[in-house]
Amino acid sequence: MNPVISSRQQVLGRIRAATGNPAATAGEAAQRYGRLPRDYQIRGKLPVRACQELFIGRLREYDAEVAECAPDELPATIAAQIEASGKRRFIAPSGVPNAWLVPAAWQITGFECDIDHGLTATEIEKAEGVMTACFCGVADSGTIVLHHSATEGRRVITLLPDWYLCVVRASQIVETLPEYFDRCKEPPALVTWISGPSATADIEMTRIKGVHGPRFLNVIVVRGTGT
Amino acid sequence: MRAVAEHEVLAEHEVIDRPILDPALAPPFPVAALPVLRNLQLRRNVAHAIDVIQAKRARLVAEKPDWQALRASASRIKDEALQNLGAYLEQFEARCAAAGGTVHWASDAADARRIILELLREEKADEVIKIKTMTSAEIQLNPFLEANGVRTYETDLAEIILQLGEGEPSHIVVSALHVNRSQVREIFARRMGIENLSDEPEALTAAARNYLRQKFLSVPTAISGANFLIAETGSVAVVESEGNGRMCLTLPRTMITLAGIEKVLPRFADLEVMLQLLARSATGERMNPYTSLWTGVTPGDGPQKFHVVLLDNGRSSILGRKTEQQTLRCIRCAACMNACPVYRQTGGHAYGSVYPGPIGAILTPQLEQMRHAQSLPFASSLCGACYEVCPVKINIPEVLLELRARVTDQERKQVSRFFDSLYLGLRAANVIFSRAWLFHAAQRMGRTALRFFTRKDGWIHALPGIGAKWTQTRDLRGLPKQTFHDWWTDRQRRTK
Amino acid sequence: MRASLFITCYNDTLFPETGRAVVRLLERLGVEVEFRADQTCCGQMHANTGFRGEAFSQAKRLVRLYADAEAVVIPSSSCVAMIRDQYSGLFEELGNDALRKEFAALVPRIYELSEFLVDKLGVEDVGAYFPHRVTYHASCHGLRALQLGERPFRLLSKVRGLDLVPLENLDRCCGFGGTFSVKNAEVSSAMLAVKLDDVLATGAEFCTALDNSCLMHMGGALHRKNAGMRTIHMAQILASTEHQPVELIG
Repeated sequence: MNPVISSRQQVLGRIRAATGNPAATAGEAAQRYGRLPRDYQIRGKLPVRACQELFIGRLREYDAEVAECAPDELPATIAAQIEASGKRRFIAPSGVPNAWLVPAAWQITGFECDIDHGLTATEIEKAEGVMTACFCGVADSGTIVLHHSATEGRRVITLLPDWYLCVVRASQIVETLPEYFDRCKEPPALVTWISGPSATADIEMTRIKGVHGPRFLNVIVVRGTGT
Repeated sequence: MRAVAEHEVLAEHEVIDRPILDPALAPPFPVAALPVLRNLQLRRNVAHAIDVIQAKRARLVAEKPDWQALRASASRIKDEALQNLGAYLEQFEARCAAAGGTVHWASDAADARRIILELLREEKADEVIKIKTMTSAEIQLNPFLEANGVRTYETDLAEIILQLGEGEPSHIVVSALHVNRSQVREIFARRMGIENLSDEPEALTAAARNYLRQKFLSVPTAISGANFLIAETGSVAVVESEGNGRMCLTLPRTMITLAGIEKVLPRFADLEVMLQLLARSATGERMNPYTSLWTGVTPGDGPQKFHVVLLDNGRSSILGRKTEQQTLRCIRCAACMNACPVYRQTGGHAYGSVYPGPIGAILTPQLEQMRHAQSLPFASSLCGACYEVCPVKINIPEVLLELRARVTDQERKQVSRFFDSLYLGLRAANVIFSRAWLFHAAQRMGRTALRFFTRKDGWIHALPGIGAKWTQTRDLRGLPKQTFHDWWTDRQRRTK
Repeated sequence: MRASLFITCYNDTLFPETGRAVVRLLERLGVEVEFRADQTCCGQMHANTGFRGEAFSQAKRLVRLYADAEAVVIPSSSCVAMIRDQYSGLFEELGNDALRKEFAALVPRIYELSEFLVDKLGVEDVGAYFPHRVTYHASCHGLRALQLGERPFRLLSKVRGLDLVPLENLDRCCGFGGTFSVKNAEVSSAMLAVKLDDVLATGAEFCTALDNSCLMHMGGALHRKNAGMRTIHMAQILASTEHQPVELIG
């Protein structure tokens, strides 16, 4: 009887035949990897304030609304942004501090915020807006990075609503993308890098915002420490 | 479908014969290019699209002083992955499985289609939503699934345009760049059943958004590709602009990711290089709107069943080849075709493959193991613009030359080539170049023969045979009475 | 300083006036020019069409011919690129150690014309006079393979009387590509048409470059169109003086 060779064996067999690779130990692989050239910019060069301003500038280039505030002004700033948006039905992840929602709840008529303890997609669809924290902001590209922790929420909640408010602490802002990777003590299991609202240029290269995913991105940069 | 006269400009709505993107069936490049060269509308669309991206890319590259260092690192990271591909793939498999994913291996296109269909049958899926993946087009997945009772719904705007309009992609990033707004309007109005649809891009995009919303929320099975596989963690990364990817990655119950084996990177941190290069090269942005990374299954977040289908389909035959292996570094950014002066004139369909342009010219024949698409390595003037812009430094001209040699080695064994005027000419030329006196004799003979075709103004306006290909559009100056060598010999004699 | 001229097979046959201009120019700059009568071709046409074995025999011949030359000057950037970029691959595959060594010793002594003038002779003002409007096309091999960079511009900027008009998209391929111009004649012609739009838009009298291959292709179409503009190899511009103006043929 002819042994049936699995596709896996076939493919790996071909690869091995082609690369002629002797089994390398983990140590050898790590050494080889360590010798790869890394002459690109890793550390940021900008002073702290300039870096923040770069981040804000890039976000504004994407038509994101950006506000800055001190830590104790955050809840009021959130309320002001929500008020200005006209959106009233909100979602927030379970880790978002209650304090963030209090002024909005008090001052804005019709404001409702469901905490995501496992909302269905249909329920999330009904929301007009969402607010979360984030893991990091990368100034060079105006990127917000979500690791989907309790304060950032499941991926679906920052996807379906049309209006997204992200709270970024100034201390979370780095200048370069390698600096973000440096901040990851371990590789995260889930990441979403957001650089502007959803867009397409598929029709005659005309850039249109908001195909799927929030069309409106609002960011609050919280200055100072202790937030 | 009527015959198109040469130099005729087609009306905007006219549909061209559907191009053949199956390398086994497509006509050779010089033939396939002809209808496109006559389609001025299409050539204008292509030129406009690539000019936009090129300009944006150039601006961003100019502002990045470490651009060359990034390219150097990216090409070395990919080489490290390729040289140790077996080990990295096995590591990816183990980590992905440990995180709750299932990894399948597909030897070729048929194998991959079979595996995916079986997975869909297990899910009792009769519909599937798709994130754009050129790899699925490579294996001709959609027609296969449709024939087996599974409806496929593309969710990328360009892919919807192509799917509903029954067109074929002509670029690997902006795949519908050959379609203009009124063509899109016509397709959407007809297939989505919308009356009074304007041709403004906003309106068209809104139509697509509405059309897909329900699909995202209801179809439980999705198929994606992968921009990168991370060996260290078993993660998959998908890079996109519209958000349809995120929809497909988070809402369905089951996700099937199809990925070429060459997509693997050693570590998560390698993305710090790749992500800086990819968007700048592909769309001329510092970063594309959404990049998603996930690892196996995360309870409570996203699909709870996750499969990866690792695809070979000829890639392993490119591995281990000294010159050609660099082909597999490709991260599918399409910068090469945006820079290519040939692509600018012909668009993508002329290449007869889902991978067009310079990368297509080297990847397609190799995936076909040099049995098909042999005209593609010759579809280049070797100008090198592609190599200049490739973020992973694939020396495409070098690979083109290597493939030309392989094709010629194959072809020259065929008896029919013995009578091919180009082969005859080149063989003769080689003999002539081997001895100076033969060379000089041939020059004299050539001069004499061409005198017949040389007009009074000293120029040749029409040549027979293969020479007609030149004189179709160009004159040729008649051969001077004295070669340089003659003049020099004369001068030596005179000065002695 | 002695320089051995490798005229190239197509210049020898089709553009001997370029060779004459190179000789006049170099001799005016005090270079003793020699010409090895045994030369034929560098092998590029065969290498680029996939005829490796044939290209190898021509490459071997060239290396042996110039083994003892002090410097080899070539008025064709595509031929220099062939030697620099493809010879070592051919010798790896088909040659032997001795040949590889000979080649390695020779290659630093190979110069494209503008390289020889600017790098070896250290000269930018060659004493030229060419009172015409000229536009410069950057041939792909010179631009990308040889990275000639500013050299052609520095040389042209010192030519008295010359009015240099910048060419839009000067780095875009003209579409010649060797046998590509015949194997893919329609695409080549489409690329040429686009190139000529840019060239004609300059309103120049002459279009120049460092490669007669591109100029043959562009010049052939310009003549067909009766455009009035002519092509001319840069060697001929640089060789031109008040006393000995450029030799124009055809």
